[in-house]
Amino acid sequence: MAVNSQQAADRQAIEKIVNSYPPERRFTLAIMQDLQKHFNYLPKEALQMTAVHVKAPLSAVFSMATFYKAFSLVPKGRVILKVCDGTACHIKGSNVMIDEIYKTLGIKPGETTPDGEFSLETVNCLGACALAPVLVANEKVYAKITPAVLRDVIKKYQGVEQ
Amino acid sequence: MKIRIDGMETEVTSGETILEAARRAGIDIPTLCYSEAFGGQGVCRFCMVEIEVGGKKRLVASCTYPITEEMEVRTATPAVKEIRRNLVTLLYRRAPDSDLMKKLFQEYNCDRIEPVDPEESCIMCRLCVKACEKVGANAISTVLRGTEKRVATPFDEGSEECVGCSACADICPTGAIPVKEEDGRREIWHRSFEMSRCEECGKHYTTQPVSEHVKEQTELNSSSENICPGCRRKKLAAEMAKVRLHVD
Amino acid sequence: MIKHQVNNPEERMILVCCGTGCLANGSGAVYEELCRALEGNDRYQVKTFAKATGCNGLCEKGPLVKIMPDDITYCHVQAEDVSEIVEETLIKGELIKRLMYRDPATKQYYRSHHDTDFYKKQHKVALRNIGEIDPAQVQDYLERGGYQALEKAIKTMTPEEVIEEVLNAGLRGRGGGGFPTGLKWKACAATDKQPRYVICNGDEGDPGAFMDRSILEGDPHTVLEGLIICAYAIGASMGYIYVRDEYDLAVKNLTTAIKDARKCGYLGRNILGSSLSFDIEIVRGGGAFVCGEETALINSIQGNVGEPWDKYIFPTEKGLWEQPTVINNVETWANVPVIINAGSDKFASIGTEGSKGTKVFSLVGKVVNTGLVEVPMGTTLREIIFEIGGGIQKGRQFKAVQTGGPSGGCIPEKLLDLPVDFDTLSQAGSMMGSGGLIVMDDRTCMVEVARYYVNFLAGESCGKCVPCREGISLLLDILTRICEGKGKLEDLDLLESMSKTIQQAALCALGRTAPNPVLSTLQYFRDEYLEHINNHRCPAGVCKELTEFYIDPELCNGCGRCRRKCPADAVTGEKKKAHEIDLSKCITCGECINNCKFQAVKVK
Repeated sequence: MAVNSQQAADRQAIEKIVNSYPPERRFTLAIMQDLQKHFNYLPKEALQMTAVHVKAPLSAVFSMATFYKAFSLVPKGRVILKVCDGTACHIKGSNVMIDEIYKTLGIKPGETTPDGEFSLETVNCLGACALAPVLVANEKVYAKITPAVLRDVIKKYQGVEQ
Repeated sequence: MKIRIDGMETEVTSGETILEAARRAGIDIPTLCYSEAFGGQGVCRFCMVEIEVGGKKRLVASCTYPITEEMEVRTATPAVKEIRRNLVTLLYRRAPDSDLMKKLFQEYNCDRIEPVDPEESCIMCRLCVKACEKVGANAISTVLRGTEKRVATPFDEGSEECVGCSACADICPTGAIPVKEEDGRREIWHRSFEMSRCEECGKHYTTQPVSEHVKEQTELNSSSENICPGCRRKKLAAEMAKVRLHVD
Repeated sequence: MIKHQVNNPEERMILVCCGTGCLANGSGAVYEELCRALEGNDRYQVKTFAKATGCNGLCEKGPLVKIMPDDITYCHVQAEDVSEIVEETLIKGELIKRLMYRDPATKQYYRSHHDTDFYKKQHKVALRNIGEIDPAQVQDYLERGGYQALEKAIKTMTPEEVIEEVLNAGLRGRGGGGFPTGLKWKACAATDKQPRYVICNGDEGDPGAFMDRSILEGDPHTVLEGLIICAYAIGASMGYIYVRDEYDLAVKNLTTAIKDARKCGYLGRNILGSSLSFDIEIVRGGGAFVCGEETALINSIQGNVGEPWDKYIFPTEKGLWEQPTVINNVETWANVPVIINAGSDKFASIGTEGSKGTKVFSLVGKVVNTGLVEVPMGTTLREIIFEIGGGIQKGRQFKAVQTGGPSGGCIPEKLLDLPVDFDTLSQAGSMMGSGGLIVMDDRTCMVEVARYYVNFLAGESCGKCVPCREGISLLLDILTRICEGKGKLEDLDLLESMSKTIQQAALCALGRTAPNPVLSTLQYFRDEYLEHINNHRCPAGVCKELTEFYIDPELCNGCGRCRRKCPADAVTGEKKKAHEIDLSKCITCGECINNCKFQAVKVK
């Protein structure tokens, strides 16, 4: 029952988002962005309904969903760690931070811990180069991080429940 | 309008691509992703040529470059040849398991290179995607991007849109799309289709969705036989022969 | 405390920088705290109010708070400092020394940021309003002469005259290509097809460049005004602003700006009573660097994957929905109102022969004053890095400056006196790109930098054409091998030969410029490649497999800083005695060498 009602709610949410745009191909990207924001990933059903709405083949919508970096086809973790790997951050050691996260949590960029707690992403440049290297944990920005700071941040989020 | 290709003067119509003009003039420019049915894609860059307009030289892809002014085209300069040789090296590195790339690798006398995946044979020419589009199924597309890019069905699962026509596999220059036909069934792109038998020779010749699709189309033409292309040719020839007899 | 003369203004404005860098440092809380403190402000002699502005450029010192018209600048302001600012400065009229800008070299204190070298050498055109106005208030923009250029164009100039003016100004595309903007407009206007479109390219994806973000966030109306002027000049009916979806604040401020512009009659039907009807829509990008390329961006707006096509016919003739389209980058649009207002002669008087006006650079990396700077074209790299930027952090040695984003090149010290413009950078094997200037020191490995950029492009290439997709994959493979100490001398020839093919045969500009980082580092820093290959050593101490750190006992005074910073407990030693690194524990993260103030940590 609970599963079914969840499915129904999801379906309703998809319909609402999809129908908020005119049925034209050019709104595909915008629809998918809203879906991604709502679900934190793009459910299969959402892509199917998007394709029907914008009158595009599912293959074309799937192609877009895998092309653009904003989208994910699998649910992401409760805590999303984004390590900026823009050039300024890179030459100030962002790869050391990525290694540190791998050592602590066992995930590489694009991966999620098996318990669904943490996802690691790298982002191109957040435009906060003065704060390099930068880490964003669930939208909170941590400036000039070091391996030690990073461990503390992870510890902090491990302790906090939803 | 007239242009010169490798020193040969040839008449062209404005907007026509260099490749089309060259082929008509009997000059061979090698291609990997080009099919007359779909036009130029500009994907493989194997058809790069040098053009000279008003004294300025540049390298362009002949399959997409539309001729709008007088020019001199050179299809085999040292720079063009070096590009082709390097492209073969790159594609052999990607698709070492394809006979076509093995052959070209020899032909272009390329230097040894470590392949990425010894079992890969797809060169990402995208002719399969174009063919699927043309058939109207749109069951496959390119997915991902950058060096990861490949051709797939949505979610790498059997696609409802696929009719199993195998147009993708038929057009593939490197045999990279696996098609298995066994016990009256065809397996392609994560799906299995029941095949139709030819009413004349009894051989399996196409999948049921395809023959149904054909039937829908041809019923309008009052012909609803399930006949394979081979038998259809034979039958047509026989009918033609009958017609001739009548005339005689 | 230092006494200062209060100007006794009629009203006092406190500008809190809310650019991305400052926000991340907590300026949002500063602004809120200030607003709270200023509520019921009967204790002040004059009307005092706070404003949240866009980026001031000096991100290194953020959050920045400016008090106008007194012209006082405070750095690194936190919410806790607000009550002190209110008590001491706003009420008593005294300066707070610890919050003042202090020159890192001369140790001198500055009352206003305007007096610092960082600002004195700049010339703000595209950034003229940013940091001075509240981007969410159209009134602020109008007070600084906003939309006067549009009025001038529509009411006193023909569309042809507008195009002529932009052409004469010598404005070239700030997004990377450097194509003359006026020529684009002219070509589009000369076609016989309707409708026509204008597009603002705000898909800023260069890692280490954020000027477009700052303009869109801090002065959105200037971009709108530029677009509307162009629409008038070329007869366009619709405009699109393609902006990275990650730029939340830019999208928000643009949305507000478009609404306000409609309300004021600058957008919509019969703009300012003319026959021009024009509107603007925002398209949020999906996160793909390649969409900065015009045709890929058009494909993305149309609802496709962002793959470019061969541009043998320009978008000005066949662009969005196959219609004539003008695409310019954010910073280019921001220059347009200035050209119309001040006239092309005035604009063209700034800059060099071939590159007119100014250029915004994001000065980042191992430089003291990280931030956004705008200088006249032709300013030398040395002036930008050492005078404005204040030189290299931690007194280290300058090695290279990377310009032009991932497809740019690395410029060595011997070329520092190069006057920067579109043409000189190309000649040096790099490019202007969107204006990223990434400063590198002796702790940056040039082979690894090349590998970093190629790796970036491997993920960002659209994957359509063979030379880009397969070529980059091969370059990455070779560079990775060299960084791991498995490189061979022949690899360098293969890198060069393949790079040439990619430059000549790739479909779009991303591919054609992708080998630049490789070729420029090979040209200027070949010895580093050779060091990796022949001696299995990374001189910068970056490539982990090839790095061993040691502490020079002659130089180490046992301060213990490296020991405390080491995350692996690999440094041991007694206080005031030379320390040692236990290589079996060392993870070569570089924290020790980065933090040593005595240059005692060395790379073997």
